[in-house]
Amino acid sequence: MLHYLLTLAIFFAFFAVEAWGLNLQFGLTGILDFTYITFVAIGAYFAGVAAMTPSTNGGMGGSYIFGWQLPFPLSPVIGGIAAAMLGVVVGIIGLRRLRSDYLAIVTVSVGQIVWMVIGNATPLFNGWDGIVGVPQPYNSVMNLSTNNYEWPFLGISVIVAAIIFWLVRSLTESPYGRILRAIREDENVAAALGKNVFRYRMSAFVIGAFIAGISGALQIEYIGAWNPSGWTTLETFIVWAAMLVGGRGNNRGMLLGAFLVPVLFTEATRWITIPAHPLLMEAIRGMAIGLLMVLAVRFRPQGVIPERKRVFPLTTIPGLKEDVANGHTAQG
Amino acid sequence: MTLSLIWMGIGFGLITASVLALGAVGLTLQFGVTNFVNFAYGEFLTIGAYLAFVFNKGLNMNIWLSMLIAGVLTAVVAYLFNVWVIQPFIKRKSQMIILLVVTIGMDLFLMNFVQAIFGPEFKQYQDPAGSILHIGPFLFTLQQIIIILIAAAAMVSLHVLLKYTKLGKAMRALSDNAELALISGIPTMRVTNYAWLLSGFLGGLAGVVLAINVNNFTPALGSEFLFVIFAAVIMGGIGRPYGAMLGALVIGLAMEVSATFMDSAYKTVVAFGILVIMLLFRPQGILPSRGRV
Repeated sequence: MLHYLLTLAIFFAFFAVEAWGLNLQFGLTGILDFTYITFVAIGAYFAGVAAMTPSTNGGMGGSYIFGWQLPFPLSPVIGGIAAAMLGVVVGIIGLRRLRSDYLAIVTVSVGQIVWMVIGNATPLFNGWDGIVGVPQPYNSVMNLSTNNYEWPFLGISVIVAAIIFWLVRSLTESPYGRILRAIREDENVAAALGKNVFRYRMSAFVIGAFIAGISGALQIEYIGAWNPSGWTTLETFIVWAAMLVGGRGNNRGMLLGAFLVPVLFTEATRWITIPAHPLLMEAIRGMAIGLLMVLAVRFRPQGVIPERKRVFPLTTIPGLKEDVANGHTAQG
Repeated sequence: MTLSLIWMGIGFGLITASVLALGAVGLTLQFGVTNFVNFAYGEFLTIGAYLAFVFNKGLNMNIWLSMLIAGVLTAVVAYLFNVWVIQPFIKRKSQMIILLVVTIGMDLFLMNFVQAIFGPEFKQYQDPAGSILHIGPFLFTLQQIIIILIAAAAMVSLHVLLKYTKLGKAMRALSDNAELALISGIPTMRVTNYAWLLSGFLGGLAGVVLAINVNNFTPALGSEFLFVIFAAVIMGGIGRPYGAMLGALVIGLAMEVSATFMDSAYKTVVAFGILVIMLLFRPQGILPSRGRV
């Protein structure tokens, strides 16, 4: 039982990091990334092959690129950078158009293409079989069994999650975050104030992709294996549902969302099985996630913990207080 | 590389283009009238394919009759989708990005709904492919010729509808300028409902002919084909039916002819490549812009 709870706690950290990245893209900036899991997967693959021993090409471990045997803090960084680079490519194709549906179309298409290419191009990441035997961070020196290794890995996950939380919080509370929110509310107004909307949206999208990659890197170094059946469309929308339920735009809400949707709902319902139809539960779970997204934006669009409404008191602007006192109203 | 292989590729290309034309026009018509992309559209194809499966396999009906019934029922599904799911958000004047989130959430819901009922296994219609016919340099089965004829008939009827009927003119007006259409006395709500009906009907037909064409299908049929439809729609200029027809022809031919040169697993990469090039260099589509529908 303790083993199971520890696993849940580790997964909670993975999902929280994923939710923060998506929240930066959609919650803060209003970018529709309908293939978020692809960035997680790219991060996982690249971190994995950066940490593994070189491929024997066609031997037991299959064939894959890299094999650099990089130690822990470096391999996730490789994963994050790879995901960020994919983010740059997707952004160049889709973010220059002002209409948000174009980027959404590009993300849907990129997700399918990347999935298909990674599955078919075996030399990259061993195709549909995927890569196995990714070393767990520092376990070659600690030599712990799978059960005992969970404590140190939980420590690693919490540290990484804390760093990411500090990062997204700093971005959200900074002038940079304020501009992202302005772009989300009305990009024309932001552009009229001289903000380069493309550059800001691009940077938020890429940082979000980087965070997704970091989460993927953590996941592969914990699970030790990764293949295309592990990152399907459903995985993207589990994170979406978590973000919408938690309260988009609110980094603390992401913690709650990551707990409620992926951990409590998805992981806990793995206990429920329908013997006659083993895959029926999977379909029901997918229906529930889709419905949850629609119902969340229908009945509680601000989420369980709404984004804090930013109020800038007029008194902080010199000279305005007197105007208000004299009966003038500040517009906008 | 022999010439006959290229002719074969062009033959397959014409069939894929026919499937794609039905799907692309259905998506672009609804976009033109409502001005947002329906990411659940792939599921209209899937629902159409599985409804036809029920009539064809379950009730032993002819595949083409099953297709027609499935198309009509999918039209009803699309109509209800608009009334029950989309309209509440339109009434609350939700932002467009919220509408897109709603359609992709419904995509996930509908796909898994089909999977919950029919299971994830491969399904197949019962229908003889028919004898092989030589037409010029092409080799077609009777089934494939019927698919091409259906698509051609649908495109001609659509042209007549848009050009010569009151409903078609109203759709074009609404697509050009919704507010102007409203104050000119066009019943925009009713026209929007018709656009959804038509979108569902064409999507349903596209799903059935796609399922016939690929032979075996799963609940992922529509969502996997959706981005190829996007490529055709964007190529022709999003919201323009005639552009979508042209886009379908180009993408269909490009995919199948390229498959004779390289691994056919990568033919969707060709569609994706065209989509990327269009978005980078000519996002408004290949047809000159003159109103959207």
